[in-house]
Amino acid sequence: MGTILIVAEIQKGVIREASFELAAFAQKLAGSGHEVKSLVVGQGVKGLAEEFAQRGGGEVLVAEAEALANYSADAFTQATLAAVAASGADLVLISNTPSGWDFAPRVAAALDAAFVTDCFDVSDEGGAIGFKRRIFNGKLDAQVKATGTVVATVQPGATPAFEGSTEGKTTDLDAGIGECKTKFVEIKIAESKGVDLTKADVIVSGGRGLGAPEKFTEVVQPLADALGGAMGASRPVVDAGWLPHEYQVGSSGQVVTPKLYIAVGISGAIQHLVGMKGSNFIVAINKDPDAPIFEVADVGVVADLFDIVPALTAAVTAAKG
Amino acid sequence: MKILVCLKQVPHSDARLDIAGDGKWIQEDNIKFEINSYDTYALEEALKLKDAGEAEVVAVSIGPDRVTQALRTALGMGADRAIHVNDPAMEGSDSLGIAKVLAAIVKEESPDLVFAGLMSEDGNFAAVPPMVAQLAGLPSSTAVMSVSLADGTVTVERELEGGALEVVQLPTPCLLAVQSGLNQVRYASLKGIMAAKKKPMDTKTAADLGVGDQVGAGAAKVEIEKVYTPPRGEGAQLIEGSADEVATQLVGKIKELGLL
Ligand SMILES: Cc1cc2nc3c(=O)[nH]c(=O)nc-3n(C[C@H](O)[C@H](O)[C@H](O)COP(=O)(O)OP(=O)(O)OC[C@H]3O[C@@H](n4cnc5c(N)ncnc54)[C@H](O)[C@@H]3O)c2cc1C
Ligand SMILES: Nc1ncnc2c1ncn2[C@@H]1O[C@H](COP(=O)(O)O)[C@@H](O)[C@H]1O
Repeated sequence: MGTILIVAEIQKGVIREASFELAAFAQKLAGSGHEVKSLVVGQGVKGLAEEFAQRGGGEVLVAEAEALANYSADAFTQATLAAVAASGADLVLISNTPSGWDFAPRVAAALDAAFVTDCFDVSDEGGAIGFKRRIFNGKLDAQVKATGTVVATVQPGATPAFEGSTEGKTTDLDAGIGECKTKFVEIKIAESKGVDLTKADVIVSGGRGLGAPEKFTEVVQPLADALGGAMGASRPVVDAGWLPHEYQVGSSGQVVTPKLYIAVGISGAIQHLVGMKGSNFIVAINKDPDAPIFEVADVGVVADLFDIVPALTAAVTAAKG
Repeated sequence: MKILVCLKQVPHSDARLDIAGDGKWIQEDNIKFEINSYDTYALEEALKLKDAGEAEVVAVSIGPDRVTQALRTALGMGADRAIHVNDPAMEGSDSLGIAKVLAAIVKEESPDLVFAGLMSEDGNFAAVPPMVAQLAGLPSSTAVMSVSLADGTVTVERELEGGALEVVQLPTPCLLAVQSGLNQVRYASLKGIMAAKKKPMDTKTAADLGVGDQVGAGAAKVEIEKVYTPPRGEGAQLIEGSADEVATQLVGKIKELGLL
C-alpha cells in the first residue's frame, strides 16, 4: 500500500509511448491498493499533463519552468525529488530511455532508495516490490526484490501501453529548480549517409561473431549480394571501426523491417532486437543454442557461421540459375 | 589534472554462464574475467587526455583478489596508480552500496574528472555512475560519445536513440559515463606491462573509507532472489544437418517468401 509516482516523458511535443507503458504497470499495481500519481515536466505542457491524467496518470503534478524546457540531468532530478516530496511516493517509475537512465540513478541516490533498472515486469510482493530484468545482455534473467522507497526504470516496450482511462486531475508543482550545472546545448540529428537499410527487402547482418573486419567482405557481403539485399551489423562491429555507423541496426542505429533479416553471429541483446524484431521473417545463425536471438527468429541454425553462410551463398547463387 | 577511472571486472564475454548453486548469480569459479568493455573506453578517454596534456590517471576497482589483474592491465595501458577496494564485507552490495564506496574515494581524491562505463556487461545495471556523482555532489552525463575540455568546461555529446546526439556542457569536476565506440582502445604494450609492475596499487576496505556500515548484503535495499534462463517462448524452428542440407532448406524458405 503506497503511492506510485510515474515520471512521464515528453518527446517531440508528445508523451512517449513508454510513459503509457509505465501507466500500465502502475495501474496493475493499483489493483493491489497503490495510488497512482504522475509527474509531467517541461514548459507549456499543461495540455499534455491533462491528457496523461486521463490516460493512466491519475493525479498529475505539472512542473513547468524554463530550466525544464529541455532535458537536463540536474533540473529533472530536482523536479522529480520535489514531486516525490509532494506526493509522498514510495515507488517512482521512470522509463529506461536516454534521459531516464541519465537522471533516475541521481534521484535514487538522493533519496537513499532502492534502485532497480531496466526491468520488464513489476509486481507487488507484499511489503516489497518484485522486478524481473535481463542480465548478461539477455542471456539470463534475474528476479529481484526491493524494499523501502524504490526507484525503478522500465524497459520501453516491455508491456503494452495502458489503454483505459483514469479520472485524473492536474496540480501545479513549484519544483523550485535551483542551480543546474548540466546545461543543454542542442540536439544533433544524424544525417543519413549512403546506406539506407530501412528500404532494403533483405538484410544480412553480421555481429561480433564474425571476429574480424575482412570477414564482412568475405562472408556477409557475398550472401547479401546473392540475395540482392543489403549488409547490416551489430554495434560492436561499428564500435571496432569494422563498418561505419550507417550499417548499425538497433536502438542506437537503424530500425529495420525487411521481408527477410538474416542475423549472423549476433547474440540478440535487447538493443539489437528492437532494431530488427519487426522484420517479416528472421533467420538466425549462431553457434550458441542459448543465444537470445533464437527467441525472435522464425528459423534458427545452431552452427558455425563460417560453415553455413558460404554454403548458403552458394545455394542461393545456384537457385538463381 | 587528476582523472579517476572506475573499472569493473566482469566475466569474459565468451565465458560459460552456469547458474551458481544458490541460484542467485552465475558460477564464477574457473571462468575468465576481463575489464568491462565500456570501462575500457572510459580508460582510453582518460589516457587520451593524459597524452594531450598533463594528467594523473587513477584506476579504481571494487572487487575480490582477481580484480588486481584488471588494475594491472589498466596500469599497463598507462594509468599512473590504482586503488583496489577489496573487502569481503562488501559481498551482496547493491548498486547504491558500490556507489557509496566510489563516492567516498571521489571525495578523498578530489579528481577533476571521473570516468566510468555506461553499464556493466554482467548485471546490465547502468546505475552506479550517476549515483556516485549525486553522492559526491558532481554533475554527470551518461552515454557519452565525445568529450572536449576547455577552460574548466566539458562539452560532451550524449547518445540518444536512432543516432541523434545531445550536446551538454558541464563544469569540472564532473563525472562522465561513456558509451562504447567513442574511441579506439589501446592495448597494453610490453613496455607498459613491465612499467606497471612498479606502479603503486593501494588496497582499501569500505571501513577505511568510512562507509563500512553502508555496504554488503545487510545494507542492500535490492536483493537478487534468483537468476534463471529466460523462459523460451515458441522460439525458432531449428534447421539441422550438414551445411549443404541446411543451405538447401534455407533456400526453400527464401523461395517461399518469394525472394528468389
Ligand atoms: C544504450 C545502448 C545502445 C545500444 N545500441 C545498440 C544497437 O543499436 N545495435 C546493437 O547491435 N547493439 C547495441 N547495443 C549493444 C548491445 O547491448 C550488445 O552489446 C550488442 O548488440 C552485441 O552485439 P553482438 O551480438 O554482435 O555481440 P555478442 O553479444 O558478443 O555476440 C556474438 C555472438 O556470436 C556468436 N558466435 C561467435 N562465433 C561464432 C561462429 N563462428 N559461428 C556462429 N556464431 C558465432 C556467439 O555465440 C554470440 O552469440 C547497445 C547497448 C546500449 C547499452
Ligand atoms: N565494482 C566496481 N568497481 C569499479 N567501478 C564500478 C564497479 N561497479 C560499477 N562500476 C562502474 O560503474 C559503471 C556502470 O556499472 P553498473 O551501474 O554496475 O552497470 C561501470 O562501467 C564502472 O565504470
